[in-house]
Parts: sequence; C-alpha cells; structure tokens
Amino acid sequence: MTEVRVPATGRPEEAAGGQRPKSPGPGSQRRGPALPGPFGTMQWARWGWRQLTSMRTALILLFLLALGSVPGSVLPQQGINPLAVQQYYAAHPALAPWLARFSLFNVFGAPWFAAIYLLLFLSLAGCVVPRTFRLAGAARQQPPRAPRNLSRLPLLSTMASPLAADAALVTSAAVLAGKRFRVRTGDDWISAEKGYLREAGNLLFHLALLALLVAVGMGGLFGYKADRLLVAGQSFGNTVTALDQFRPGRLVSASDLQPFSISLDSFTARYITSGPDMGQPSAFHAYLSYQAQPGAATQRYDLQVNHPLNVDNVKVYLIGHGYAPVFRVTDGTGRVVFNGPVPFIPVAVNSLMSEGVVKVPDARPQQLGFAGVFLPTTVDVGGKLQSAFPAAYRPAVSLVSFAGNLGMNSGVPQSVYQLETAGLHRLAVKPRPLSPGQSIRLPNGLGTLTFTGYRQWISLAITYDPGQLPALIAAIAALAGLLVSFLVRRRRVFLRAAPAAGGGSTVEFAGLTRTESSETFGAEFADLSTELSAALGAPEKGGAGERGPHGNAPPGTTPAVTSPTAHAAAGAPAAGAASDVPSQSDERE
Amino acid sequence: MRPRAPTSARAAAWTAARAAALALGAVTALAACESGAIGQSGPGGNGQSFVSGSPGTTVYGTASGPAVPRVTGTLLSGSKFTLAQYRGRVVVLNFWGSWCTPCRAEAPFLSQLARRFTPRGVRFLGVDIRDSPATAEAFQRRFGISYPSLNDPGDVIALNFRDTVPPAGIPTTLVIGRDGRIAARVIGTVSYSGLHGLITHAMAAPS
Repeated sequence: MTEVRVPATGRPEEAAGGQRPKSPGPGSQRRGPALPGPFGTMQWARWGWRQLTSMRTALILLFLLALGSVPGSVLPQQGINPLAVQQYYAAHPALAPWLARFSLFNVFGAPWFAAIYLLLFLSLAGCVVPRTFRLAGAARQQPPRAPRNLSRLPLLSTMASPLAADAALVTSAAVLAGKRFRVRTGDDWISAEKGYLREAGNLLFHLALLALLVAVGMGGLFGYKADRLLVAGQSFGNTVTALDQFRPGRLVSASDLQPFSISLDSFTARYITSGPDMGQPSAFHAYLSYQAQPGAATQRYDLQVNHPLNVDNVKVYLIGHGYAPVFRVTDGTGRVVFNGPVPFIPVAVNSLMSEGVVKVPDARPQQLGFAGVFLPTTVDVGGKLQSAFPAAYRPAVSLVSFAGNLGMNSGVPQSVYQLETAGLHRLAVKPRPLSPGQSIRLPNGLGTLTFTGYRQWISLAITYDPGQLPALIAAIAALAGLLVSFLVRRRRVFLRAAPAAGGGSTVEFAGLTRTESSETFGAEFADLSTELSAALGAPEKGGAGERGPHGNAPPGTTPAVTSPTAHAAAGAPAAGAASDVPSQSDERE
Repeated sequence: MRPRAPTSARAAAWTAARAAALALGAVTALAACESGAIGQSGPGGNGQSFVSGSPGTTVYGTASGPAVPRVTGTLLSGSKFTLAQYRGRVVVLNFWGSWCTPCRAEAPFLSQLARRFTPRGVRFLGVDIRDSPATAEAFQRRFGISYPSLNDPGDVIALNFRDTVPPAGIPTTLVIGRDGRIAARVIGTVSYSGLHGLITHAMAAPS
C-alpha cells in the first residue's frame, strides 16, 4: 500500500514514506532532543503509543474481542434475556454474583469489553491516521531533482536538437506537461512524474478505512434492534412499551425511536401442495398499513421475506409467522375473563404444529391456565394427533387444563409462552381436540374455554443502523482506492539538455517506473521520446551502440523499446529498480 | 522496534487492512449471533414478551416538568375520553397490561391510592397496552380498580408521550401536576408509600 522508498545511498534511516526505524539509532537521536539515560515519560508514552498502534497489538486486541464475546453467547445476557439471568441466579446462587461482578451477564456493555474495542479502535486509527497524513503529503509532492547521470537509469534515449539547451528544456517541459506529467524544472534539467493518482487512491483507501471504522461505531452507538410479534388485525407503535425486545445502541434512548406505527391488515402464506417439497412455503405476503408518525397519511405495503419495509430509515423485516388461536374463557362466576388471540409458537417447521399457553389470571374462583398445541391440518395417526400441512385446512387445538396459582401476581416477570406449574393442579378433563367453536367445560364449575377460531401472526425485526449506508459507501470507496493504487503506477522521466559542440543541444531523456513490471512503461516511454524528438526537431539517435559505456546491455530485455535499453533491469533485483531513485532529499519530513 | 524492510512495511499495511476487515467481520459476527438469537426463540425472543424498563423514579421540579401531550382515545368501556377534561387536577397516569406481572403486583396499591385520593380531587387514568378489552376488564374487576382505562391498541398514546416522558417500559406511572406538566415518573412497579408521596407532593405544589 504505502510506497516505501529506500534510497540506495546506504542511509536507510532516512527512508522516506515514514517507515522510519523505530529503534533509537543515530537517526532518531539527531531528530529528537538528546535525552541520555533511562526512558523519560515522553519516551515511555511514545513507546506505549508505538506498541498500541502496532499490528501485533491490533491482532491481539481483535483476538481478545472475539474471546471476550464468548461468555456473551454462553451465559444468559441481561439485555437479551433477563428472565434467563434470573433463572441462572436461582440455579447458581453462589456463582452468579461473582459472574455479575465481572459483568458477565452484560458482556457487551461491560467496561472491560468497552476497553477492548476502544483500544482496538484506537490502535487501528492510530495506525491509519498518520499513514493518511503521509500519503496526503506524498500525493502533493514535487518530483525529485533529476539525477546527475541519467545514463544509469533503466530507460534512456539521447537526441540531438537544433534548439538551444534552454529552448529545448522549455519545449520538452511543454510536451511533458501536455502529457499531464507533473513537471519540475532546474537549470539544465527537467524532472517529471505521473501517476500521482496512485497516492490519491492510497489516500482514498486509508480515509475510507477510517470512515468505515467510524460508520461501524456510529451504528453501534446510535442504532437499535427490536422485535415485535403482530397478530393479524392488530397494530403497534414503534415505542419501547410496544416492543417485545429492544436492544438499543449505547447512545439511544426511548425517545429516539422513530414514531411510526404499523398494523397487519392480513397475512397470506402459500405452500407447495404436492411433490417432494410439499409443505414448503412458496410465498409470504404481509399486507401492512403504516403511518410514518402519528397523524401522517396511512400508507400500504406488501411486506415479504427479504423485502423489508423502509420507514424513516428504519428497516422492518418479516422474520417469522405462525398461528394465534382465539380463545374465550368464562370463569366460575359466568363472566368472560379472557377473550382474544394467543400466539402459539411453531415447533415443527413443515407442519406448523405450534405450542402455546393461555393464562387467565383474573378467573374466579381460581386462576386458570391451559397449555397445548395448535394443529393447522389435523390428522389422527394411530390415536396420536399430528399436523399434516402448514396451511389451516383442519385447524384444531388440544389443551391440558390447570387451575390454581399462576404466580403472576408477585411481580416477577415470567414467560408468556410457559406456565409456571408449581402452584397449579391439573384438571381432570377428557383430552379431546377442539375444532373452532368447540368448548371445554371445566370440572367443579371452574368455567369454560371456547376455541373460537384462529388468526395468523407475523414477527417483525426492526433495525435501525445509521452507520449502514456510510459503511457501504466507505467500503466501496476503500475498494476503489485500493484498485486505483494497484492499477496506477508512478513513473518518472528525467531530461537533461546540454549545449552541443556544433550548436544546438544534446538532450538526454531517461525514464523510471517504480514498479517491477516496466513493459507497458517501456512502450509509453518510447512514445514519449518519439514525441519529444519531434517537438525538438531532433532525429532520435537511439541505438544501443550509441549509448556509450552502458550501451552493451543485452538486447531483448525490453522488446517494446528499441533505442533505450533497460540495462539496470538486467542486473538489479526487481525491487532494486525503485532504489535507483537517487535523490529523495525533498521527501524528508 | 526494528527497522522495517519495504516488504514488511507493505505486509504490515496489508495486515492493517486485513485486521480492519477482521474487526468488521467480528462486529458482523456479533450482530449476526444476536439476530440468530431472535430467529431461534421466535416471537418475543426473551420469552417475556415485553420490555421492562429499568426501575426508577424521576421527580421534576415545580413547573419544570415536560408538558403532557394530547391524550384522547376510547375507554375500555367503549366511550370517548380526553385527558383535557381533568385539566387543573393532579392526575395519575398508569401504563399497564393485564398480562404484565409487575403491573399485577402494583395494581392493589393503585387501587387503594385511587380510592384514597379520588375524593380529594386527584384523578387516576390507565392506559391499557396489548390487551383485549374483555381480559382487561376482568383485571379491573379483580383488583377493584374503579378508575377508567384507555384502550391503546395502536400505541397512539404511548407514541404521543415519546417526546415528553417516554414510558420506557411497562409498567410506567406518571404523576401530572395541576399545571398540566409531568411532576414525576416511575418506571417499574410503584410502591404504595412511594406513589403516595409523589401524589401528595404534586398536590402541594402551587398550580
């Protein structure tokens, strides 16, 4: 990514591009204040910062982050399942307080977890930010001075121009500038460089990486996730009281929720009715009406799987569906004490056999509870009831009845999908599946339950991630920057003009690319020198034999270029091509 | 730290990119395992099926509490109601549901306090969340709750409160002063003495 230039002058400590040696050495001593003796506070701070921003530390932190999230998936979490945490406390009275002391029931909000990800962020930012500044500097840099001896460069072409040296320089500079080279001129030389887009791409990549980090952080701070189960015919508002689960980002409060409301007008599910995939769903449509805020116009939406509703930048996904049988319960005093749909939870995906409970805490003289199954298409297989198909062709419920104390009045939260049977006794009711309209008459005048019908429900995942779009844009930008920095090469050309003995001037034109593959540059260089010689009115001298002492380079190393040879490439290692850039004096920080 | 050769520097930059990608991957994985939890446990994934707020009482200073938004709707009995008709009175507004166990725990206190303070001019009003009217009325009979409750099937009232004092969970109880401003908010179960004190305080405040 970062171009690293190592001058061949044997002074590696002056390597430009920021990869300076970090060990105290002659270079660093010269730069910093001379502080002999043991490490001072500044040195320690600097050492600590270098350690933190080193890749090794980032990787260790990343590993710790992964390790630290393990208890979050092994132990019940307060924010996700407070009920399970209470149960854990009850089951492990000695261990649980200790686990709580280390925030193990709230791992993702724990100070130590925050420390890990803040350090990781700092480490990555501390690595990327200084690099970004360096790249910004590199992108604005002027080309270096032309080397004294151009004949040492891999590509060279010599021309004799009738123009005087000064005029030749001006003309050449104009040609190069016209080719969109960045041109720097000296007394008798021109140095020009092209391909700064590479640095720009590099810069874009690093900036985008930073933006990506920030965007992901933003999403975590300002976003939220919530779930809601919605029975057909019902509606809800996006407010904390109405949500089944609410997992806010660290900086989200209840008043930050977008105030839309959604009602489920109807839900249809289609299933494959034959063949090996029988019972597999083929289409779900949840027909919604929604208002972006109270009092706003009502809009309609056909919600489908992977086709979320976007309201106020909040995405609402359809993630589940099921049946909610409707029950009416009359208690011992003859009053209706319960009337409404009760969502049952599917336990078999292919048949949508569903389980659920009905709690009637306000029945008299005793609280009533029912637990059982809903079967959309009931079949009797050897005396055992099963559901043969997920669509409700022959719906029935089969319930076990209880009476006693449901344990709901003590204030301890309990699951709406489970009966706490400790205070209940089972009633002697002959088990019999109920079809819509049928009832169970409870013994001892405790009341009657009627299965009046069924409705369908959907479950919705509500997600708000303000960092999502910025993260996407940043990721695309990072990729684009990376591509540019890979595809664009920086290439330099140098030109020296000296007065010739018989009037006019001798122009030496040399080129250098800073990547290993020089074949395309060879062609570009050949075109350039042709153009230059035309502009200078000089027939290209060319020819390996005319190049003086270095002219006997093996032919064929750069077949695209005829006259200039690539002698340097012949002997030097590939990476060494870049180190032939003689002067980096203007690149020092 | 050792001086870095060009190759290792390039490698380091690569590693930086990879580390960032990994970090992102880790974040996504975390997010994914959360949403996985949703999928597995199905509707009302925590099994509790409602969000209980972090318990706590907030008392606002005189005339500094947020103003009460418009509250209108249909009572469980079916008649229309607007909170404006209680203007000039101390009002106790309780968000509840018959299925919510903490609401059932606090219901006896609310019932007693309503009986005690209604003759002294205080009005009590419930906002019933996620209930069917028949079930909610059985709850009211059971706990001897004499004050009315609004049926809020679309959470319109809860949404109207989002900018003032969001009821952050069920149960939430608001004490509204005579000036139409919220004097106190209790998230979670109220205690008899706690709510008694808040009502008395609101009654003593100059209107």
